[in-house]
Amino acid sequence: MSDAAVAGLRAGIRARVRLVGSAAAVGAALGVVAAGALAASSGDVEAGTRTAFALGALVLGFGVLGWSGSAMVGDSVETAQRYMATRTDWTERDSRRAMARLSGAGAGAMLAVVAVRTVLLG
Amino acid sequence: MSTDTPDRTDAAAAETDRRGLLARLRASPFLSELLSNRLAVVGLSIILAIVLIAVYARLFLDPGALASSRLGTGIPDRHPPGWASSVPADRYLFGTDAAARDIFRRCLYGAWLAMLYGTITVGTSTVLGVGLGVVAAYYGDVTDNVVMRTMDVLLAFPPLLLALALVAVFPRELGLWRAVIALTLVYTPRFARVVRGAALKVLEDEYVDATVALGASDPRVLVRHVLPNCLAPITVQSTLNFGLAIIDLAALSFLGFGAQAGTPSWGLMLSNGVNNGLLTGKWWLSFFPGLFLAVTVLGFNLLGDGMRDALDPRMREAVD
Amino acid sequence: MVSTRFLLKRALLLVPVLFGVATLVFAILHLAPGDPARVIVGQRASQAQVEEVRRQLGLDQPLWRQYLQFLWDAARFDFGQSYSIKKGGTVRSVLIDRLPVTIELALYGQVAGIFIGIPLGIVSAVRQDSLTDHLTRIGALTGISVPIFWSGPLLILLFATYLDVFPTSGRIDSTLFLPDHWTLFGTELPLTGMVTVDTLLLGNVEAFLSAVHHLFLPALVIGIYSTALISRMMRSSMLEVVRQDYIRTARAKGQGAKITLMKHGFRNALIPVVTVIGIQFGTLLGGAVLTETVFGINGMGLTIVTAIGDSDYPVVQGTVLTFALLFTLVNLLVDVTYSYLDPRIQQ
Repeated sequence: MSDAAVAGLRAGIRARVRLVGSAAAVGAALGVVAAGALAASSGDVEAGTRTAFALGALVLGFGVLGWSGSAMVGDSVETAQRYMATRTDWTERDSRRAMARLSGAGAGAMLAVVAVRTVLLG
Repeated sequence: MSTDTPDRTDAAAAETDRRGLLARLRASPFLSELLSNRLAVVGLSIILAIVLIAVYARLFLDPGALASSRLGTGIPDRHPPGWASSVPADRYLFGTDAAARDIFRRCLYGAWLAMLYGTITVGTSTVLGVGLGVVAAYYGDVTDNVVMRTMDVLLAFPPLLLALALVAVFPRELGLWRAVIALTLVYTPRFARVVRGAALKVLEDEYVDATVALGASDPRVLVRHVLPNCLAPITVQSTLNFGLAIIDLAALSFLGFGAQAGTPSWGLMLSNGVNNGLLTGKWWLSFFPGLFLAVTVLGFNLLGDGMRDALDPRMREAVD
Repeated sequence: MVSTRFLLKRALLLVPVLFGVATLVFAILHLAPGDPARVIVGQRASQAQVEEVRRQLGLDQPLWRQYLQFLWDAARFDFGQSYSIKKGGTVRSVLIDRLPVTIELALYGQVAGIFIGIPLGIVSAVRQDSLTDHLTRIGALTGISVPIFWSGPLLILLFATYLDVFPTSGRIDSTLFLPDHWTLFGTELPLTGMVTVDTLLLGNVEAFLSAVHHLFLPALVIGIYSTALISRMMRSSMLEVVRQDYIRTARAKGQGAKITLMKHGFRNALIPVVTVIGIQFGTLLGGAVLTETVFGINGMGLTIVTAIGDSDYPVVQGTVLTFALLFTLVNLLVDVTYSYLDPRIQQ
């Protein structure tokens, strides 16, 4: 592999990591807030963190499914749109970026909630 | 520039609006085109008839009496319609069900339930969809991308399977509301997509830019300029989806995740028909509630198709 | 030729799809109210018994550990034992019993939809605004407006109860018994679980006819819906293609209108239809849920409805993941068909 190709690959990876990473940071913050709010309202740290973790898993699952779904039927949808001349702005790339953000946020929330729980309950 | 103060211009404009409303409606290309579409007029008539039935049922029929069993009161159970048997033709117009309840009255009351819960479902998802769509269109960029692509993924799920998955999440005690909430979430993305499409077209128009330049704050622009221009596509989308919402609500009731046992909802009556009349040939248990359901849905589909055709072509693209 | 690389890439997507679905299912069931342990032991059991079952199922573990354990189980398609549908039986055995039933039903419904819907759509497009076109379109609109849980009962009442030409339920005559394996060149092989296939493998023509006889009405009900969808799609796709330039060019070169249409139009018009068939497969599965409930067919659809009603969580998990697997495989199949039709797709 040429140096240019390696550099290109690195830049691509870095951009993706940044996309998912910033989403994960947002997700982590939201996860901690959600866990805190849920724990405070129910008065039970264990139950609060459980619900927050499950909510994070919901977002992660949705994101990953949406990401792979976009990759799976993306061509089909774009072709169908081309042939049917329906103008929507749906593109596979856009969809995958959005879903990668969601997945990152969900995973971030799950990790943060686990960390919070470990600190509080050991 | 006119010498009027801004306030007076607004008041004058409002006055013109009010006086001209009827005339403008009559001259509206949308309405005249819609009314010249024969199928759409048929659909509209069906819907009006069902609404009348619903209102009648709500005012004059007692839901408690329709829900409770009539067994042991001398009324025969699973009796065929009067005109199809030996009793006087006007007795038991649609026959009686397994609990000796009058199917005709139950079908009428079913119209009220279908219209009521259909309106709640479609109304709530319209409001949620409008919120999400307008926000996505107005803020653009990452917000737009994440919100709309999420809606697209939700749209890709088969509606009934998604509704079933959601129904499983909510507590059983919610009864029919469980189905309503699930379907509201299933339908919201459709409205978000339409509204975003329409809102983007409005925002492209220069006068919104001009309003923003003049210092109008975000919510004001949205409420005063974007929303009124999205009304037509929203109405079309609501009509098209009303029929689907009624079918899906009935389907969930049919599968046992909607209306509580005994409720005179069409879906539940169909389920009773399958359980009590299929093998023994008691056709009236299934036929009449299904007929009401299918005709109502056909009415909404016909009107919705006609409305879509009558819509401004620029907006038509947004409605699927 | 379809490139293997393209297909491999598609096949690999199965992994994230199933991971995503598994995570979603895990999240949904943990957000849902109700305690699985309480479902298993019943309402009258003591709190100690509930705690005991919770420990057995690992529900007392931290949620992240349960999540990892669940992913590991899901990867092996092991969802433990059913709570109520087949008490004590593994979820896997429930799925093995019922998946072929649904595949068979969906397959015939889909095939009927394709073989009736596509010709109808073409005729409708070629004779645009003719009586045939109007009838086809009204028929399609009716097919979409009439819910399966009404058309199904009516067809049963008419053809099974009154006319007695079709059975009301079941998959094969109750007097017929099929062995549990078939023999090819002296080796015993397991059966597929799809009766119309099995009876042929066994060479039992009488049983095959009985199976077709039993499957006819449910496949018809589910087929009406997909016929309506496909004919609508085919019609508009065909009209769209005819409007495009190259057809006009071809026609200007002097070829007959009909041949032009067939040669150029059909193949291109088919592309969006094929893709839609893949995407619509999910709707077909939704239709299978209703059809199985109406006809009392013990497939995946009836299973998931019963499992949700009974809070049989392991079965719900297994069924949902199987649905996702099925959907992905069908779309993989669509991809293959599609890259034959549209050579441009093989990057």
